[in-house]
Amino acid sequence: MSPSNPYLDDLSRGIVRENPVFRLLLGMCPVLGVTGYLINGLGMGLAATAVLIASNVVIAALKNFIPPQVRIPCFIVVIATFVTIIEMVLQAFQPALYEALGVFVPLIVVNCVILGRAEAFASKKPVLRALVDGIGVGIGFTLALGILALVREVAGHGTIMGPDPESAILLFGQGFEPMGLFGQPPGAFIALGLLLGLTNVIFKKFNIK
Amino acid sequence: MRDLMRLSITLAVVAVISAALLTGVHNVTEPVIEQREASEYVEALERFFPEFDQFQTEKINGDTFDLVYDQAGDKIGVMATVKTQGYEGTITYNLAVDNEAEIIGIRIISHSETPGIGDVITTANFQDQFIGKDFEDPIEDGEDVDSVSGATLSTGAMISSIRRTVTTIGENFLGMERAAFGFEDLADGLYRGTVDGTYGPLTVEVEFREGRIRAIDIIEQNETEDYFFDAYPSIPRKIIDKQQLEVDVQTGATLSAERIISAVKNALEGSPVEESGGGDN
Repeated sequence: MSPSNPYLDDLSRGIVRENPVFRLLLGMCPVLGVTGYLINGLGMGLAATAVLIASNVVIAALKNFIPPQVRIPCFIVVIATFVTIIEMVLQAFQPALYEALGVFVPLIVVNCVILGRAEAFASKKPVLRALVDGIGVGIGFTLALGILALVREVAGHGTIMGPDPESAILLFGQGFEPMGLFGQPPGAFIALGLLLGLTNVIFKKFNIK
Repeated sequence: MRDLMRLSITLAVVAVISAALLTGVHNVTEPVIEQREASEYVEALERFFPEFDQFQTEKINGDTFDLVYDQAGDKIGVMATVKTQGYEGTITYNLAVDNEAEIIGIRIISHSETPGIGDVITTANFQDQFIGKDFEDPIEDGEDVDSVSGATLSTGAMISSIRRTVTTIGENFLGMERAAFGFEDLADGLYRGTVDGTYGPLTVEVEFREGRIRAIDIIEQNETEDYFFDAYPSIPRKIIDKQQLEVDVQTGATLSAERIISAVKNALEGSPVEESGGGDN
């Protein structure tokens, strides 16, 4: 259970043991807000991952130049820069996703997963390890959003790959009346709670710490 | 002191580099975004006006009206780009009408209404009820179109904005005129009228004597306070000054202003709650 390779450890830690959503409960705002559809959840996860990797690398590279007194403002500026870049790129090339994610794209700036990794990891470790850590946590975050969004979309809309009617697959046929609650924000809390319970059971069973 | 310098310089350098980066990306993405928006607009024009060839832009009160022409150079309709205040922010949409001011299509460009509630304004279900309505139709909630319960503010805002836009287009570009609401022959007395307001009924009392509206009192209102006091008492004063209900509503409090007007109309359409004592005449 103890991988000797630190990179492998960095990668897997973010996905499993310190999964930002299921284990650390960080960055809950987009987790609850945009997981109504699988595509939106995955899109949000990937956008946050891109910002996380970029900010992790830059902050690790700059850690010796930034005086500790002003590190937080510097981190925030770095993160905000990447978020704004992602926002503009999405708006230009992925307008549908940009519309769907709405205010949650600019809100990546204050996503505590990203600032948390910058403060706890990237600002103390070499660039390469920060990169791997960013990838790992990013995958973990995207995975968690994807699972939650899948549960909510199937339960709340009865589809996969919605909301675009062209790509949406109706799982239960036309006459199915989905549980609309799961499509709404309160349903996100319920679905998240159930998934948290499930991960706890799984982690206990396999004795992962 | 040296420390302070170092801190400021570090922050400044980080900020400058980030600004430079953002400027660079912005310069790359902006033309793409603009081009996409323009081509989406042209696509919408082609969908609403299959014979569309070119358009000419006019501006009224900050809204854009494109007069649409076909290949022969004949005007085939008007496409408006309108902003209106929704529940949570500005709703921007296109409204396409033909030469008879009949609504051909609606396209929401951007909005920030509540997901799952106010965003019904983007659904075909809500939009289709406007298709075919024209300048002569009331386009009034509960009469020929319906707001969506649970999303009354968002859908109500769309309904009255569409009504205003159709009126603006008809009057400015298609040479139409609204028949004024006539009330010269009414019996003297005190009239009372009620309409649904933002959070409850809005009731007015109108005093009518010798062929003129003498006074308008609002006896009950449940409007958003700021908006209401923007509209009151200026709207009643305008109605009394002009002796007609077709008065300008000021932007910013359009909904409350329009409600006051329709409450007065509602009052005058009914019969007086109390006849004025005939002693004087």
